[in-house]
Amino acid sequence: MNLETYAENTWCKGCGNFGLLNSFKDAVNELVEEGALKAENMVISSGIGCHGKTVDYLNLNSFYSLHGRAISCVSGMKIANPNLTVVAFQGDGDAFGEGIAHVIFSAKRNMDAMLLVHDNMVYGLTTGQFTPTSDKGFKGKSTPRGSIEEPMNPLALVLASGGTFVARGFVGKRKHLVGLFKKALLHKGFSFVNVLQPCVTFNNTYSHFRENTYILEDEGHDPADFQAAWDKALETERIPIGLFYQVEKPTFTDLLLEDLVPAERRKPPSTAISEIISER
Amino acid sequence: MVQDLLTVIVGGEAGHGVKKSGNVISILMNELGRYVFEMDDYPSLIRGGHNFSVVSSSTSPVYSHYMSADIIVCLDKRSVDMHKDRLKDGGSLVYNADTVTLDPGTGLPMKTWIKDIKGIPLMAGTIGVAAVSALCGVEFSFLERIFKANYPRGLEANVELARMVYERMKDDEGKFELATAETRPGHLLAGNEAIALGAAAAGLDVYIAYPMTPASSVLHYLADLSKKLGMAVVHPETEIAVINMALGSAYAGARTAVGSSGGGFALMHEAFSLAGMSETPLMVILASRPGPSTGVPTYTCQGDLDFALNVGHGEFPRIVLSPSGTNQAFEKAAELLNLVWKFQVPGILLTEKHLGESWMTTSIDPESVEITEPSLYDGPLEQYGRYEKTDSGISPMLFPPVKGTVVKASSYEHDQKGITTEEAEKVVEMQEKRYRKEKAIREEMRNLLTVATYGEGSKSLVTYGSTTLSALEAVKNVDDVRVVQVIFLRPFPDWALQEALSGSDVIVAELSISGQFENLLRSKGFDVSAHIRQYDGRAFDPPELAARIREATQ
Ligand SMILES: Cc1ncc(C[n+]2csc(CCOP(=O)(O)OP(=O)(O)O)c2C)c(N)n1
Ligand code: SF4
Ligand SMILES: [Mg+2]
Repeated sequence: MNLETYAENTWCKGCGNFGLLNSFKDAVNELVEEGALKAENMVISSGIGCHGKTVDYLNLNSFYSLHGRAISCVSGMKIANPNLTVVAFQGDGDAFGEGIAHVIFSAKRNMDAMLLVHDNMVYGLTTGQFTPTSDKGFKGKSTPRGSIEEPMNPLALVLASGGTFVARGFVGKRKHLVGLFKKALLHKGFSFVNVLQPCVTFNNTYSHFRENTYILEDEGHDPADFQAAWDKALETERIPIGLFYQVEKPTFTDLLLEDLVPAERRKPPSTAISEIISER
Repeated sequence: MVQDLLTVIVGGEAGHGVKKSGNVISILMNELGRYVFEMDDYPSLIRGGHNFSVVSSSTSPVYSHYMSADIIVCLDKRSVDMHKDRLKDGGSLVYNADTVTLDPGTGLPMKTWIKDIKGIPLMAGTIGVAAVSALCGVEFSFLERIFKANYPRGLEANVELARMVYERMKDDEGKFELATAETRPGHLLAGNEAIALGAAAAGLDVYIAYPMTPASSVLHYLADLSKKLGMAVVHPETEIAVINMALGSAYAGARTAVGSSGGGFALMHEAFSLAGMSETPLMVILASRPGPSTGVPTYTCQGDLDFALNVGHGEFPRIVLSPSGTNQAFEKAAELLNLVWKFQVPGILLTEKHLGESWMTTSIDPESVEITEPSLYDGPLEQYGRYEKTDSGISPMLFPPVKGTVVKASSYEHDQKGITTEEAEKVVEMQEKRYRKEKAIREEMRNLLTVATYGEGSKSLVTYGSTTLSALEAVKNVDDVRVVQVIFLRPFPDWALQEALSGSDVIVAELSISGQFENLLRSKGFDVSAHIRQYDGRAFDPPELAARIREATQ
């Protein structure tokens, strides 16, 4: 399947976003080939930042949304038409700064949507300020003497908020990342994949992550075990990547809509309305 | 003497069932064949404080409530202090004899009676309803029937209390001989209910909102009716989530609306502008209360006109309209939903607490509402572009899933396919495409009721929104003044207003300290010879407004 568009790619050479984009394409292509996913049923959305350009680079239905709001945007799509497969691409500043409330609540309500965060621990597009996940001491343009805040832990945040699929990937481990994306796309409920995505221009973390990440699946982690997932999420010495936690729960739209597909309903309920009025 | 116009005030603490008794009095009057306007006055708290309901009714339409009353029922002492001066000559004051002694007036030992029958404090309201009913000479069996329908819980206790009231007030029974009619003149609806039903009739599929007075009742009403109406109703974490979800929902093809008051809508601005840029149809219900900031949450005002007209960064067409009463609210809510889908723009239904939370006698016909389908693409799919250039500026829509093409919407400036662009020529192309829709909307408005004229007179009292209701009631007692209501506020229907005014003297009445509406009229080239303003959070009292009109036209 051709997922290319004619948009000119403007990411820096060597940017981690390439690996992320290609892994996502591979995941979609493989799922389509396997008959597990229909590309026309997919709608993607993004926030604003370097990560946002992803929607221009993918020949899929899309809504290029606002800084921090992509997960809300796709949640609305899902409410309108629960048959869609929706994915939000957000940045770390975008998802954990500007739009953090929506991340917490999407997890809380088990919105059947995938949230993929391009976590480069920096604001790329606005040329290098610290983000919620930047290390303490990070020297960015707005923190020239080093960030004085501790970084936030996105995996623990989403686990604590009720996320039903919580994963971390690294663009330097492409095959593994494709596997995570495929699982996340197929997960029924809120699936969160935080992707370690080095920004070669403002925060080059390639070698750090190459040296310090390890794959959970290699060490027999059980993603059904919440406590184990929690412990792994708090690990900082070595950085685990892989599927931390997955559980099946009813989704928000299952419970809200039952059989209703709002986007397909066209006949106005004029008799129902007449009835409502006549009771008054 | 048979009396036509009758005003009743019921006052008490929150928790006394004041609003409920106002509602039941309205229902009683409506059942007697009378038109009703009920205004509920309540502060922003849950217990204590002072609530009161005003019910004005007549056998001809009553457009707004009066603040001087024929009957005042005081369920607590504070109500007596607050309202006794509003009693008209020959009126009746009924009070709670357990908390005050008064002369003249009818004291009823409300607390004692409720205790005697092991009732609850809410039943004070029931006593109030029964007192009004007795004073108006309503047959007990008739009242019993009303109680059956409206107090299904604790019915027996309520009927027993009513019997005690009738017994005690025997001498005053039928003091007010009311004009009645055989049939009910319409149904009792609050403005927000009429707005909600109007949108529903025009095919609203999804309603998303975060609670904020005085818009919350739209959310409550639709949430309650969602199964019956086949609608998805959602209350998310913030107003920012509300509007961003709504845009996703509309993108996917569901007719979607959001609602809030000033503060909540302020949080939606960034995404309102996104609706403009992405050309996503969106209906916003903006229910005003006095600001700035948290302001006076449960009262009415028209200080948000400039805000509604100018919200959103950047330039893009949008529609702002404001209905007067429930009938028009129903029609215009349906019309706005159709218009935003026809032109793929955001639109605001601007209203105030005075319409949204007041009950009015309403006659509407859901069958009369037609659904305008958006322009849908039927060309070769491989050529589809979400933002295709057209003469009208309206690009045909598609909703995923569609096999054979993709639908790409964007907040960035984009080309016809929806891919980001910063090229000057393409920026111009899209700016102009969007702007052409403004012209198309103006064209369309020529076929719609954009300005309404009521009555005759050589002078025009110009209003918008629910102040029109106060004006209509006021001019019943003023000579030679007609009411002209500007319904569409953006685009501004200058042609229709010119025709309506036809050179007459213009007096502007509005609930604003700075005169935003007057300034709007002036900016459109209309002369204003006098203005009447009020900004105390209350709607105009018709006799007071009448006096100010007379003064202004002398
Ligand atoms: C409401 C709002 N505030 C600020 C901006 C400016 N802005 C654009 S991108 C960005 C930060 C992006 O950082 P991140 O989300 O981490 O994305 P990255 O560029 O790193 O992919 C900011 C602050 C904006 N577009 N909208
Ligand atoms: S600034 Fe960083 S994140 Fe943005 S494209 Fe360049 S390398 Fe990638
Ligand atoms: Mg970033």
